[in-house]
Amino acid sequence: MTVKIEASEGGMDHNVMLGIGLVGALVCIYLVYLNTLMSTEVFAFFGGLAAIIALWWGTDSIKNLCSYGLGTGVPSAGMIALGSGVVAMLFATKLAGISPLLVPVGCVVVAAILGAILGFISDKVLNMNIPVMTRMIAELTVVGSLTTLGFTAMVAGTFSFGDLITGATSVFGVEIASYASSVIGGCVLATIFMLGAIAIQHPFNACLGPNESWDRTQMCAIECGALSMIVIAIMSLAFLSLPAVVISFVISIILWGWSYSELIKLSKRDAFAWLDSQPIREVGGEQ
Amino acid sequence: MSALGGGSAGGEGINPAASVIALVIVLASVGIAYVVYPAALIPLIGVIVGGVLISFGVHFVPVGGAPAAMGQAPGIATGVAMLAAGGGLAGLFGGAWAAEMGIWVALGAGAMGGGLLMAITCLMVNVVYVYAMGIPAASGKVDKDPITGDTYEGYRSQGTEGHGLPFISYVGGVIGGILAGAGGTLIYLELLSVYQEALPSFLGMTPEGMQTLAVSLAGIFAVGMFLVAAVLTAYNITGTIEGPHDPKFKRWPRAVIGSSAACAACGLVAILLVVI
Repeated sequence: MTVKIEASEGGMDHNVMLGIGLVGALVCIYLVYLNTLMSTEVFAFFGGLAAIIALWWGTDSIKNLCSYGLGTGVPSAGMIALGSGVVAMLFATKLAGISPLLVPVGCVVVAAILGAILGFISDKVLNMNIPVMTRMIAELTVVGSLTTLGFTAMVAGTFSFGDLITGATSVFGVEIASYASSVIGGCVLATIFMLGAIAIQHPFNACLGPNESWDRTQMCAIECGALSMIVIAIMSLAFLSLPAVVISFVISIILWGWSYSELIKLSKRDAFAWLDSQPIREVGGEQ
Repeated sequence: MSALGGGSAGGEGINPAASVIALVIVLASVGIAYVVYPAALIPLIGVIVGGVLISFGVHFVPVGGAPAAMGQAPGIATGVAMLAAGGGLAGLFGGAWAAEMGIWVALGAGAMGGGLLMAITCLMVNVVYVYAMGIPAASGKVDKDPITGDTYEGYRSQGTEGHGLPFISYVGGVIGGILAGAGGTLIYLELLSVYQEALPSFLGMTPEGMQTLAVSLAGIFAVGMFLVAAVLTAYNITGTIEGPHDPKFKRWPRAVIGSSAACAACGLVAILLVVI
């Protein structure tokens, strides 16, 4: 058992963030389904937005978890989130065989069950004895699965297993269906996995410390998510039509540019607040 | 490597009630797998054994974290999750390359891949420590190396817990890489066998087109489960460990129970993928 060390003052309540993150990410992933309804591909970018919303929420979960001394650093929490999240997400895409609309909700449910098991193991079996551990690991697993599902939906324009495993290669102008040129068969998923993992483990790891402020950390999360989204937009060139890729790319560039300039502003604000070397603040906890 | 400064968590001893629940999770997963898809029983047990190998192996790896980077603690200067991922994934790739040559060759290739990566890492870490940072290898936990018999006391700097990478830690790192690499490869091979068998019948695919799909699915699941097992072990170690001679090494039964339950749950989900 350790003392809670540090948490930034102010900011949004974590339960509110959970609600916004969960509902926002689910709504955005469902909006990708418009692609299937309207037989187009231009709504793929909503997958990236879903991932960013999930990352925004997940950064606060990581902050809650890691403000208790885990002893292993912040990135490990991101790795377990994505490692278990991708298992739940792949299983959920298979639910499209029953109904495509089941996939996002199924993803959250399966990830929550898996995360609760992992949280229980780390809290009780491994004797970590951190009060929020079970809940936060479960949340992080949901975040990890929603992030990978969102990015997968963005890269493929769909989230049903059947579409994710079939791609088309063009041989001398003739389209041939092939499993190897699909999102899962081509293992594009591995890249998505790492892009999501980097985006979730970086923000709090970069911003932690006595001077950590809620809005800067959250802006860093949006910035990391948008940066991953740019790469995903480029990767979607292999699977989507050009207009859809251009829309995704432009939206990610705008989002990244905005969040990056905001992050720099907030960083300068916080750096200015530390001129003249003040003593280290002890916020919200006793040691 | 707690950059947050606080004392690390993790009490000693085993929590009996929780351990029993974890074993029930293992048995329930195996039972469900047997009921819904009997052919997956042996592969799921293989996945659980792989998770156990990973979590036992990671305990051998000398993890120094941030203090090691500053020459204040022995070990490799990064976190458990990163080191385990490096060693284990190198093994997994080695084993996956040899998957066509049978399970034992593939397991051996995986073990050698993981062990080789850890051997090279440990060697280069010591080269940097000795020739770039100018610090000798000295363990903080024992005064005498259990293998070579070298004494460390005269080389340990004041105010540190030892530094550099002593011989026993090097040996531990290689053993850990071998075990973790073999474990990761075992998870991959077992899942690959399930997918190769089940995908053609369940999804109505042609076997030749299905091969890449089975490899990709098994690969991404193996990576995911590897990270889960490695991070749970990292939580058990709570930060830094010097190798098999470290008192924290005795905590391994907890991590083995935890990782087997985690891999059973994840493996069940991975196997259910082909059933629904």
